[in-house]
Amino acid sequence: MVKKLKIKQTKKTIIKVRNLSKKFDNNIVLEDINFDLYEGESLAIIGASGSGKSVLLKNIIGLLKPDKGSIKINNIETVNLSRAKKEDLLLHLGITFQHGALFDSLKIWENIVFKIQRLKKLSKKDGQKIALDIIKNLGLKPEVLNLYPSEISGGMQKRVAIARAICSRPKILLFDEPTSGLDPVTGGIIDELIVNSVKSLGASAITITHDMASVSRIADKIILIDQQKISWAGKPEEMLKSSNLKIQQFIKAINPDLFK
Amino acid sequence: MKKIQNICGSVGYTCLRFLSQIGNFFIFCITALFWAIRPPWYFKQIFSQIIDIGFYSLPVVGLTTFFSGMVLALQTYSGFSEFNSESTVARVVLASITRELGPVLTGLMVAGRVGAKMAAEIATMKVTEQIDALGTLGTRPMQYLIAPKLIASLICIPFLVLIGNTIGILGGYMIATYKLNFNSDLYLYATLEYLQWIDVIQGLVKAAVFGFIISMLSCYFGYNASRGAEGVGYATTAAVVTSSVLILTSTFIITALFFG
Repeated sequence: MVKKLKIKQTKKTIIKVRNLSKKFDNNIVLEDINFDLYEGESLAIIGASGSGKSVLLKNIIGLLKPDKGSIKINNIETVNLSRAKKEDLLLHLGITFQHGALFDSLKIWENIVFKIQRLKKLSKKDGQKIALDIIKNLGLKPEVLNLYPSEISGGMQKRVAIARAICSRPKILLFDEPTSGLDPVTGGIIDELIVNSVKSLGASAITITHDMASVSRIADKIILIDQQKISWAGKPEEMLKSSNLKIQQFIKAINPDLFK
Repeated sequence: MKKIQNICGSVGYTCLRFLSQIGNFFIFCITALFWAIRPPWYFKQIFSQIIDIGFYSLPVVGLTTFFSGMVLALQTYSGFSEFNSESTVARVVLASITRELGPVLTGLMVAGRVGAKMAAEIATMKVTEQIDALGTLGTRPMQYLIAPKLIASLICIPFLVLIGNTIGILGGYMIATYKLNFNSDLYLYATLEYLQWIDVIQGLVKAAVFGFIISMLSCYFGYNASRGAEGVGYATTAAVVTSSVLILTSTFIITALFFG
């Protein structure tokens, strides 16, 4: 008798972090961090200011080297990867930084197509056309393309940063505090853009934030970093039932109905 | 005893920090040179730096060397006339400008104008995460930001020195002929007769060394800036002060090598 094998369908792991620790001098920032990001998943990493969320993201993208532990992106160990291979890997990632990090000396359209212009040697006309196509979906007017970052508002800068991150159609998106410093309405628009971008690209995303309204809109899964460790992990709807004090503090700060 | 231990400890710590800074600076220079000679070369960036360093420094270099040439002619005349050696004015102005004043004044002016700008620009990019963003967009910051500044400085500052020398000698000539009533033809003849190519070459060697010092120190302090606006201010001050001190130190060493 042939035994029928039951194949369990599991989602592919895109980012796998194991036992990651990081300290600066004698100050331990992260200790024994473990989590997985699966294909198509949107993970929110929350925590108080200074809890090490951005340090975790910088370890993932290789701007900082962990003292201990392993980080795998698409099953490739990145911690001791050579410079050339790391640069190659980064091309598959779309990243936005906390303060936008748009290049002051370049126009908005040049910022948006910066990566693909270098990869595909685009002409100015083609670059402007691609930038125009992208900003149409992000609610920006074509006039902004020829402005410089200092000439547009903070909310628009965040949108341009998202445009730059998604321009090369990456399958992994990383957002560092995308709604920080924005009013709730603009923050909501940015969240919607993130959700739409992740869906339209079929990407997996990590968003670093302490904005719970934002978490409720964008996350499939949440991890909370507190006192250097992951102190809670779960789905947004599980937050309400959590007995974790920190989670309760975070929820109290906003309307709990958002998570229902 | 404890006090002595503390003093020895802080002296040792300061020495180690100083040595580590020198080591880091050395590695930074080697890396910058490596990326400056390796393709791809960012010609747009190099050209823009040539305009900024070379073209926009012309007025300040021209004015400084022009007035220095005039002062030199006046001072030499007033001093040498006591010994009936007025005829040596042209020779003294020429040697002083081509050997020392031209290169050093140009170096100091460029360190103040361009070095401060380079350090502030790179430090601002560093503290606003633009340099981190560059690395995640398939571009090496060393090759895109630092190498063009190094190449442009090495090209432009020798040209600025040549122009500065000419303007300085012209300043001396104008004072000598219009104020001190020297014969124009005789003054020009004396200038050309005493023109030594070794002086000009020595000046150009100094200019190239100053170009290296200014670009590397300014980029190094900018690249290692931290702590927001305060860090940008520190980087700018450190770049200008250290460049100026090293310009004056290196001019002595080069002079000793040529004429010692």
